[in-house]
Amino acid sequence: MKKTFLFTTLAGALFASTALAADGEPIRIGVPVGLSGANSVVAPSVVQSAELAVEEINAAGGVLGRPLELVIADDASGAAGAQKAFDALVYQKEVDVLISMETSAARNAGLPIVARGKVPYIYTSFYEGRSCSPFLYVNAWVPEQQVPPIVDYLKAEGAKNYFLIGSDYAFGRGMLEFARSYVESTGGTVVGEEYLPMDGSDWTAIISKLKASGADALITSTAGGAPNVTLSKQLRGAGVALPYANLAVDEGTAQSMGADAEGILISASYVTGIDSPENTAFLEAMKAKFGDELRTPNDLSVPEYEAVYLYKAAVEKAGTTDTQPVLDALAQVSFVGPRGTIQMNAQHHAPLTMYLGQVQADGSVSVVESFANVDPGAQCPDL
Amino acid sequence: MSDTLTASPRPFAQRRALILGGLAVAALALVLLGPLFLDRFSLNVLTRSMIYAILAITLDLLWGFTGILTFGQAAFFGIGAYATAMLLTHVGSSPALIGGALVLAILVPMILGIAVGWLSFYYGSTPIYATVISLVFPIVVTQLVYSGGTLTGSSSGLVGYMGLPFGLEGFFRLSGLCLVLVAIGALVFVRSDAGRVLTAIRDNETRCAYLGLNTQRIKIVLTTVLAGVAGLAGFLYANASGVVAPENTGFVFGTELVVWTALGGRGTILGPILGTIGIDYLSANLSGELPFLWQLIIGALFVVMIIFLPNGLAALVARFTRRGRNEVVTGGGPTLTVSAATHHTQQGGGPLLSISKLEKSYGSHKVLEDITLDVAPGELVSLVGPNGAGKTTMMRCLTDGKERSGGTVRIAGQDIAGMTPDRIVALGVGRKFQVASVFESLTVADCLRMARSALDTPSCIATAHDLGLPQAAVEILQLTGLDRLLATEVSLLSHGQKQSLELAMVVSLEPRLILLDEPTAGLTKAERTTIGGILRKLTAEMGFAAILVEHDLDFVRDISSRIVVLHQGRLVLDGSVDEVVNSEIVKTIYSGGENA
Amino acid sequence: MLTLLLDIITTAAILFIVSAGLLAIFGVLKIVNFAHGAWLTVGAYCAVVTAGLGLNPWLALPLAFVAGAVLGALTERLIVRPLYARPLDAILATWGLSIVIGQLITLWFGRDVQFTVSLLSGTVDIFGTAYSLYRLFALAAALVIGIGVTFVLEGTRLGLSARAIIMNEALARALGLDTARIRLVTFMIGTGLTALAGVLLTPLTSVDPNMGLAWLIGAFMLVMVAGSSFGALAVACLLFGGAQVIVSTFISPILGGITIAVLSALVLRISSKGFSRV
Repeated sequence: MKKTFLFTTLAGALFASTALAADGEPIRIGVPVGLSGANSVVAPSVVQSAELAVEEINAAGGVLGRPLELVIADDASGAAGAQKAFDALVYQKEVDVLISMETSAARNAGLPIVARGKVPYIYTSFYEGRSCSPFLYVNAWVPEQQVPPIVDYLKAEGAKNYFLIGSDYAFGRGMLEFARSYVESTGGTVVGEEYLPMDGSDWTAIISKLKASGADALITSTAGGAPNVTLSKQLRGAGVALPYANLAVDEGTAQSMGADAEGILISASYVTGIDSPENTAFLEAMKAKFGDELRTPNDLSVPEYEAVYLYKAAVEKAGTTDTQPVLDALAQVSFVGPRGTIQMNAQHHAPLTMYLGQVQADGSVSVVESFANVDPGAQCPDL
Repeated sequence: MSDTLTASPRPFAQRRALILGGLAVAALALVLLGPLFLDRFSLNVLTRSMIYAILAITLDLLWGFTGILTFGQAAFFGIGAYATAMLLTHVGSSPALIGGALVLAILVPMILGIAVGWLSFYYGSTPIYATVISLVFPIVVTQLVYSGGTLTGSSSGLVGYMGLPFGLEGFFRLSGLCLVLVAIGALVFVRSDAGRVLTAIRDNETRCAYLGLNTQRIKIVLTTVLAGVAGLAGFLYANASGVVAPENTGFVFGTELVVWTALGGRGTILGPILGTIGIDYLSANLSGELPFLWQLIIGALFVVMIIFLPNGLAALVARFTRRGRNEVVTGGGPTLTVSAATHHTQQGGGPLLSISKLEKSYGSHKVLEDITLDVAPGELVSLVGPNGAGKTTMMRCLTDGKERSGGTVRIAGQDIAGMTPDRIVALGVGRKFQVASVFESLTVADCLRMARSALDTPSCIATAHDLGLPQAAVEILQLTGLDRLLATEVSLLSHGQKQSLELAMVVSLEPRLILLDEPTAGLTKAERTTIGGILRKLTAEMGFAAILVEHDLDFVRDISSRIVVLHQGRLVLDGSVDEVVNSEIVKTIYSGGENA
Repeated sequence: MLTLLLDIITTAAILFIVSAGLLAIFGVLKIVNFAHGAWLTVGAYCAVVTAGLGLNPWLALPLAFVAGAVLGALTERLIVRPLYARPLDAILATWGLSIVIGQLITLWFGRDVQFTVSLLSGTVDIFGTAYSLYRLFALAAALVIGIGVTFVLEGTRLGLSARAIIMNEALARALGLDTARIRLVTFMIGTGLTALAGVLLTPLTSVDPNMGLAWLIGAFMLVMVAGSSFGALAVACLLFGGAQVIVSTFISPILGGITIAVLSALVLRISSKGFSRV
């Protein structure tokens, strides 16, 4: 179980930390995450969140007197890499729990391994919804929570004709499918819905269609990172100035787009601008711990932080790290974090406060409106 | 090359079978007993690695043995996996359905394999074109998977279907068993007479075609069969992993397979297996901690390997262990026997070769014009003329139905318009090239067997102990001493020996008409006399017809029954030896030309 | 309709810019540089560095050309030269190189999408249609590259030598041409042009370590079809780029994404010389 941290550091990745505040056999938290591949842009911020949570908890005496230990593994943002990562974590490192933000493909690939290895798995990424397993809990948003605020806002601004653009993958299609049905249920019209392959980089034809469609609002759901940036650059280059809501951009990516991102509407369960003592403390702690290395905390990384605390609460409630008691306890505990009070329900998903924000010229997000405790709906009625 | 080995065939073959058997038993023991001492993590990873190794074998047969660089095996694998997962997800799961999934997982890739093969391999296609197709194919398949919605699960893939009810150990053993079986099958095949055909295609595809082998069809069949094997690997993967995803079908996975195979050692079977298992297992252990550095190391290693050690680590090992590869072996090899003539013996009426108004032009430039000529059995016609007269072009027009621009060529009464060389060979034409065209990495015996493989279908599992050749071919071998070098690799032969070997190969085709392009170029006086004697015997005594392109007028005078003179693409003279040798035209054309 | 026409022409122009360097190398050296995508990436990161140094963003163009050419020289010497006789292995070795370059960029700059300054922004009115100024600029850039390459090929000694090598390498060497040097220079021009193309792509795509890969296959297929002629490449870009835009507009952008690859494969199947006789 010897680990060569040197290389990890060399690779620019962030390494697992073991604090010394508590003694006893450490509780291992496996974090399979996309250090390489599509998620590699956001992954470092996720790892930082987890590290802060572990450090804080260990400094406060650990969990049941045992310290927490992070074990990070690269899932390469895809199924094949996820299988390796889950195998390594579940069978080689023998972690007690998996807490991670991943692509849907990676999550799906990991689920059979989780089920076979009987390990609790808290998934901390927003996703297209309806992934159900006795071992899986989700503390991030699903379309039912995220889309309505944005469409309602656009409608209030006078939008009637919507154009939808997505990357051709499960999340892209899943989000826009929900968006279409919600738009239509509120009396709007979808005048166009177009997809480009995930690795596609030429949006020319779609943008021309958008311009010709007479749409008065644009909703996009592209794969995180590169496709978001590519589409925004080409939209701005083509002079598109419609009200533009992006269902899949986080604050960090928005910053790397510079002026091209200005005005984009986002709907999230976390923005850095949330005005609460918990968020202020969190941001300060992050800044203190990581300094210049800090990756902007975002809607994909903060749930990771909270999930570590939720796990702590569940273990303490169950009095053990054994799988079944912890799984039972996870539906009963809550944690007040940067996003507010988080409690996952019997269907293993969490009601969340959603924030409608707008990207400013400097890349920061200002909150336009918030919606408290939006319910995820019936995600897993069979659980 | 100072020490020559003497080997006798039987014990060697037996020893090889023994080694193979021993290896198989050891491998089987490993995969069956593995679960007893491996931890769960290693079991899981190795199960997948072994499935990938099956895939690497299929890639290696295509690339290492046949010379077809392909990235497409990943797509066939993915299709097999998706066929399995889609059936089990959308239709349901029962023993019968799992059986159905197995059938589909093999059949669907095979059908697509035919399509890809048809696209990739046609007369005149280039190796790089086949590679291009193998790139496009996985890209298209992946795109289809992404846009498949709930049918394919799009980017999320399919998960949660019920496959074979085996545990971790069960899948390990099943995958291991399949790997061992596929590996043994591949090992037996590549060492069989049919397997050598693949190497022959890699070495010299043109020669294969001119030995009457339809190389394109062989490659299509190979692609199809290996697509099926890749599909089987996909079936195993879908069951063992419980999830299929778009990246299983993609071009990047295809390149990874190539990397593993290259590092392990293309052109061997064990190399790619060990390369795949080794690298995949290591990367599962290391990539979590150093994802980027690991990729960097693999990439750099790959580049260095391709440049300096193109045959991979296996070649490095073989360099120290293998004897007899780079040495002249005296004796050994199969037993030469004389086989009764089986083909082309029936004689129709009329001339054997009938050329009428043959024309060949490149754009407006005419290389051949208005050639009319008949050749009857028993004739030895020499084609003479200065360089650039069109002699070699004419030979090409007689053996490739797509070459000429006008006129007709009939062989045994049949118009060869549009025919590919292998079909013309089947009509009874043998062609010897100007530069000895043989298979450098095969043995003398294998080269000769290759010449027979269009007539005597080679075995897919065994190496024949006898090598049956026509009387004339055996005589050539005996006269030139090649009969004692049957087990020697061709690359070690002298120039003259290669020329003689090629002639023996051409004669082994049992042709009625032999076309020879400067068969004596670069030979010693003694070798020339030998070849001349053989040619005279073939034509005068055995009834072959021969057309000979030759510069050596003395040689031509000694052996020809008729001489045809070509000049600037036209036939200027056609007559007996005396008529031509004494004609003024020839003296004019050759004045200062040929002796200079 | 006008927009469609502009889309087709500018798409073709961008494809031409992206493929020109690959063609220069393939046409003369008969080697497929599968590290093409990596060179695009290198070029784009030159733009990032230029911005980081606070220089005028346009300076990235010469900087990228030089960086690309210098790296190209190293590559030709160390990796490509031993492989001229093994073109399939050259594909693999350059692919391996692209992995190495990609990882080095990752180790140096990180995995993130990099921010780049837009070279030109905004739109212009063409007969009442607002159209992206940068795309029109790309059209001009493609013309400049095309004319420049034609000038080098037709009007200089190097071009003459290169054409001689394309037609008959053995003869060229027999005539005393220093083919090794011409190959080196050609490879440098090819990689330099590719890095330049990388800078020109920055206003259109995200800049990240994998950005080049998306363009590799399309460029590769276009070059296969074009053979060794820049004229043929222009035709191929117009026809297949146009087909891509039309398929994307009227059928499906997803099918549009594979249009170039599929059409090129079919054209090559029908005529193995592709458009090279154009």
